[in-house]
Amino acid sequence: MRNILKIKFLLAFILLTMQFNGFSQGSAEEGKTLFKNYCASCHAKNMRSDATGPALADVEVRWADYEREDLYSWIRNSQALIASGHPRANEVYNENNKAIMTAFPNLTDDNIESILAYINVAANPVAATGGAGPSAGVVVEEKSSNTIYYILAAALGFLALILTRIISNLRVIATKSDDPDAIVERKSIVETLTSKGVITFVLFALVVIGGYKTVNTAVNLGRQQGYAPEQPIKFSHETHAGINQIDCQYCHDGARRSKHSVIPAANTCMNCHSAIKVGSTYGTAELSKIYASIGFNPSSGTYINNYSEMPEDSIKEIFTDWIADNYVSENDLTEINREGEKVVKEQWENIKSSLTNDVKDKIYGPIPWVRIHNLPDHVYFNHAQHVSIGKVDCQQCHGTVEEMEVLEQYSPLSMGWCINCHRQTEVKFMDNEYYQAYEQYHDELKSGDRDRVTVEDIGGLECQKCHY
Amino acid sequence: MKQDKQGIWIGEKDLTQDPEFIKAASQEFAGENLLETMGSKPEAVNLESTRRDFLKYLGFGLGAATLAASCEIPVKRAIPYVIKPDEIVPGIANYYATSYVKGGDFCSVLVKTREGRPIKVEGNSLSTITKGGTSARAQAMVLDLYDLNRLRKPTINGEDVSWSELDSAVKAKLNASSSIRILTNTILSPSAKMALEEFKTKFPSAKVVTYDPVSSSALLDANEQSFGQRVIPNYKFEEADVVVSFNADFLGTWISPVEYASGYAKKRKIQDTNNPTMSRHIQVEGHMSLSGSNADNRILVKPSEQGVAILALYNAVTGSGGKVAGLNPKAQAALTKVAAELKRAQGKSIVISASNNVAEQTLVNAINQSLGNIGNTVSFENASLQRQGDDKAFAELLREMKSGSVDTLIVNQANPAYDAASKGQFADALAKVSNTIALSYDHNETSSLCNYVAPVNHILESWGDVEAKRGIINSVQPTISPIFDTRQAEASILVWSESPNYNAASEQPYMEYVQANWKKTAFAAQSKYLGFNSFRDNLLADGVTTVADTQAGEVSFIGNASAAVNGITKPSGSEMEIVLFETVNIGNGQFASNPWLMEMPNPITRCSWGNYLAVPVNFDGVRKMVGLNGLKDGDLATLTVNGKEYTVPVIQQFGQMPGTVGLALGYGRTVAGKCGTGVGVDINDAVGLSEDYATYYATDVSVSDKIGKEDHFSCVQYHHTMGVTAEDKDTGETINADEAALVAFNYGIVKQGYQGALTDRSIIYNSHVDDLKENLSELHHKREHAQHLNSEQIYAGHDDLYARGHHWGMHVDLNACIGCGACTVACMAENNVPVVGKKEVTRHHEMTWLRIDRYFYGDLENPNAVYQPMMCQHCDNAPCENVCPVNATNHSSEGLNQMAYNRCVGTRYCANNCPYKVRRFNWLDYTTADIFPANQPSLNGEEVPFGADNLTRMVLNPDVTVRSRGVIEKCSFCVQRIQEGKLTAKKESRRLVDSDVKTACQTSCPTGAITFGDFNNKDGALNKKLESPLNYIVLEEVNVRSSVNYTMKVHNRDESLDA
Repeated sequence: MRNILKIKFLLAFILLTMQFNGFSQGSAEEGKTLFKNYCASCHAKNMRSDATGPALADVEVRWADYEREDLYSWIRNSQALIASGHPRANEVYNENNKAIMTAFPNLTDDNIESILAYINVAANPVAATGGAGPSAGVVVEEKSSNTIYYILAAALGFLALILTRIISNLRVIATKSDDPDAIVERKSIVETLTSKGVITFVLFALVVIGGYKTVNTAVNLGRQQGYAPEQPIKFSHETHAGINQIDCQYCHDGARRSKHSVIPAANTCMNCHSAIKVGSTYGTAELSKIYASIGFNPSSGTYINNYSEMPEDSIKEIFTDWIADNYVSENDLTEINREGEKVVKEQWENIKSSLTNDVKDKIYGPIPWVRIHNLPDHVYFNHAQHVSIGKVDCQQCHGTVEEMEVLEQYSPLSMGWCINCHRQTEVKFMDNEYYQAYEQYHDELKSGDRDRVTVEDIGGLECQKCHY
Repeated sequence: MKQDKQGIWIGEKDLTQDPEFIKAASQEFAGENLLETMGSKPEAVNLESTRRDFLKYLGFGLGAATLAASCEIPVKRAIPYVIKPDEIVPGIANYYATSYVKGGDFCSVLVKTREGRPIKVEGNSLSTITKGGTSARAQAMVLDLYDLNRLRKPTINGEDVSWSELDSAVKAKLNASSSIRILTNTILSPSAKMALEEFKTKFPSAKVVTYDPVSSSALLDANEQSFGQRVIPNYKFEEADVVVSFNADFLGTWISPVEYASGYAKKRKIQDTNNPTMSRHIQVEGHMSLSGSNADNRILVKPSEQGVAILALYNAVTGSGGKVAGLNPKAQAALTKVAAELKRAQGKSIVISASNNVAEQTLVNAINQSLGNIGNTVSFENASLQRQGDDKAFAELLREMKSGSVDTLIVNQANPAYDAASKGQFADALAKVSNTIALSYDHNETSSLCNYVAPVNHILESWGDVEAKRGIINSVQPTISPIFDTRQAEASILVWSESPNYNAASEQPYMEYVQANWKKTAFAAQSKYLGFNSFRDNLLADGVTTVADTQAGEVSFIGNASAAVNGITKPSGSEMEIVLFETVNIGNGQFASNPWLMEMPNPITRCSWGNYLAVPVNFDGVRKMVGLNGLKDGDLATLTVNGKEYTVPVIQQFGQMPGTVGLALGYGRTVAGKCGTGVGVDINDAVGLSEDYATYYATDVSVSDKIGKEDHFSCVQYHHTMGVTAEDKDTGETINADEAALVAFNYGIVKQGYQGALTDRSIIYNSHVDDLKENLSELHHKREHAQHLNSEQIYAGHDDLYARGHHWGMHVDLNACIGCGACTVACMAENNVPVVGKKEVTRHHEMTWLRIDRYFYGDLENPNAVYQPMMCQHCDNAPCENVCPVNATNHSSEGLNQMAYNRCVGTRYCANNCPYKVRRFNWLDYTTADIFPANQPSLNGEEVPFGADNLTRMVLNPDVTVRSRGVIEKCSFCVQRIQEGKLTAKKESRRLVDSDVKTACQTSCPTGAITFGDFNNKDGALNKKLESPLNYIVLEEVNVRSSVNYTMKVHNRDESLDA
């Protein structure tokens, strides 16, 4: 009876969870991926500001007067719809200076519905909090796996206790059966626990565990895997490397030729952002920091003369004007309102605090990024060796950066991690003329005595490959 | 008599078996004991610790560890450029061709910059003058750039002012002046001279007076009289079979040592051992100079005998006149023989003299003329302009200043208050000048006396040009923008002259001025480039261009030799004379504020941080070498010169003429920053004046007995000797085997051997060029014997490993090495080697990875020297590796003896076990990395240790770890360069070639003595060098399988000159 009840409960629980899973933002989730792949290179992610393409928030409302099919064909092939003389299509086309939207003939109606669902979610920040879900889930998962271990340990302990009890009972029975008159002194649990053996064992265990912990902690001192500090600019690798598929080495142009991959200078940002002046996620809030750093007036689209000498008030004027103008046009206002003034003030203060610190009091000057990958000073690492010669993918060490909204350190950057890779990685031995010097290996490869040459084989584990 | 062909020794203590030295040499890490180190009285230091103390330390330790563990990692910043310059890629070095110029010193160089910071100097192999070589001084110039002693702002009477304030004040004073003088050292820049011309046009009362810190004025004046050209001839040492130098240290300091050394070494290297030929070098001097130590024969004369010695040679060469009165008979006889030899080498010899007496220089010219050298080895085509000083003009200026007729004096990048030969009168004379203007780089004796101080750029921050030899133009371009609020001297001159050609408003006004000047002169004089822009770009890229030497022409001797005979210096007949000389590292004080050069040992005495009175040592005929007045190394004595007393530390100097002592100029400066102030003794007052010419000796000299002991005797001669202790057979005492062997050997007690005869060890081999065959077969016999153990290996199977990829090795040609020390400074610059200061040097704690051992051989009182650069030998059977308890030092598959600093726990077992004594321990915290100030060294009472401040730190090589306290370090064969070279080859997908990897010592060497390469590269330069039968391996018999080969030192001593 009780069992049946239990099973019922379990079934109900499973059903419930399944339902939840089935319900959870299916189309919006799919829409997010589709949006990233197809739309995000032109349309702003916050759906509220214009980028290359117009802001997408409330797109359904704007097309409400027309057939749903029209919206589908508009998204699939806008030029065709315009040619057909559709009034809304032509209206949008003209509003956007006749910029031609890419055609996506392979999008199904369901796909488009998903995208529209995502647009609604993304345009409405309250609905978008679901985005934090997955990461929270991961944490829970970690916790639960730990709990399992604790439960397991407790169960084992309990089992051990029962077993000792049983053994002791059995011993008593055995003794009694040999000699019924024998007086068997049974140790109480307290006596057992305070016996020399147990105390010794506990002490031993404590020392071993403590030592293990200490050593591990000490070894990990200074390592910062997963380190994802807040940067002065909320730069999103997801937007740049993921959605817009900008090659890593476009900005990190040292990686192919130098030891440093190089944090790009502000002028590299300006290659694109002299045109794209309002960010897809943060609007003017973050991009203005680049302009404030390098001395670019986004309102006029020109560089400011003698910017390094410019008083802070003038700088403030340029950027608050720019932010205010954008606020006004974005919210279809004719004049800045109180809310807008607050936004302008906040953004300006954020620009100032992001670009200045205790050693740099001028807004002009380099952006003080927080360094994430910190190798100790006694380690020599060369990007060019790995990127250009070893042809190692950036992601192998840095993780899927193209999916990171906030960049984090993916690898431990520990010596063991380096060494392991050097043990396993095969040298591109035949591709590079340099390795011809290793004649013996070439002979062995030819004769078949050797199937590959690893980094270890050419000295990749030796101290002075990295420490000098 | 007191001579043996094969015995070698390093100094007096070594020869005489000084018990203190033996005790010290037997200890790997010599120094004072703990109590002395702590600088306290024994009773003041309670070394016992109680249980309470133990608990306290335990608690503190635990607490500190917990604190450290819980500390958050500090947030580090990554600062990119705002606008990245196209040519800079962070992490990749840029090289700029420019020039090292200091007065008349010149070297064409490439400057390595990283992220905009100049960090290293390399020679420019395109230069037809220095041919890729450098000097220690040129190597050290990057450190000058980051000198804390630099002037940072213009000042008027010590108050900081702006440039416009200074300019208007100076201009007002100049306009009101009726007699302006510009005092300068030699100026090599045609554009700077042009600027001075403009100044003189604007201010017609202005005159330019040139002097040199060490004068060659008489040489110039004599050349003007003899050949009609006031220049230094173009000496072609590469063509000279016989070189006779009267006290001219042409390999170390005289005129253009890098250029001369490169030519000289070509004639000293043995190309073909079956038919060996080499030049003969005879040095006539009283004090052993760097050149003298490299000479085959030294003819000893007192400094006041130089004139008669020249006359004796003149007489012997020309056959006119007979013996010369006043010359010691030994020199007289020797010089007669030298003359005969010179005559055999008609047109293929060089006679030079450092004398500052016009008559003597005229005689030297006459000798060269009569030997047919003029136009051949002594040419006036591309004559050198590297000395232009005029002692007479300077003396005239001094008289004018004293009479008060000069109202404005501009001192252009010179320090006459310290280094001018004026018997200390310059400062007094300066006080009579109403407006004194200093164009000065750093705080020095002169700038501190001047009212107006205009700080000048370092040459690495400057534009300019150099014409060191006529027709050869070298460029000067900035490698960093001025660090402080400074301005080029030339720019200041032009601003003050209100030159119409100088547009102060433009961004790089002096660059425009220089380039406009090039367009008018050098570009117009050449025909290779059609457009000026390509001419300019090529000049800046190559650093050098050649135009026709229009002033060369036919030169004939028009001097009056017979009149000159009467003008020579008469020997003083004085019992004691003193030789005053400039050293390779400090010059006449110009380099005293450079810690690298201060710490670099003088090649001969091997003393650093100070000048030491060189006293002669005499063989007492029995067993001892006795210093003058019984003085020993490190004793203090009172030196009296012309009635003035100096307290000086003493060094016993082999090869010092009896009856002479020697003391280096350039020390004892009073305003030279933390590094140079008060180090050593200032002897400039003793420089004599003869008819206004400076004479670098004095004859009224006496030396007292020992009056004390120097606190810190910082001579590295006896440090790191490659010796072992052994039992003395006679006394049963434990002594240093080397010394016992040597001493015994020299007195015929023990049979045969080298330093370390008990174990018959090979350190230096030498041979006379004529006996080469015989000695080579002996060498090979010895090597065969030494190699009989070679089958025994610690790491069996490693040979197979080395054969796979690269196997790095080195070759050092001791016949090319002149001991100039450029490599030691290059090594310090490349590898971030700390400077430790006088006290630490005294305690054997110098950190140099590359030292140059100096050994003497031959005659005890007048020996020859051999220099042996000694660095980690990267032994394939390395004895250091297997004693390391933590495997911090181990062997790579490329044959490198690796040192992992972060693994090292500082047991120093490796250093104990190193037979070559090349491992160095970081005794102190040279970088202020740890938090205990007590662990930090102090060079000269500064607040932060040298090199730990942010300005000096800019010189660090970012590719080399800065070592912390408590670890061992040593030569790495410049592994950072090896790795970089390999990467370059990989990037270009080609095999590695020799030019990809060159060590810092190799590239710095002016004579090409060092060759680095891959043993496995059969066509490489290293394997070519290894073919020579002269090669040997130091301590080969201990079977450590060193990767460095040396060559037998071959000399060409004329024994008959010694008789």
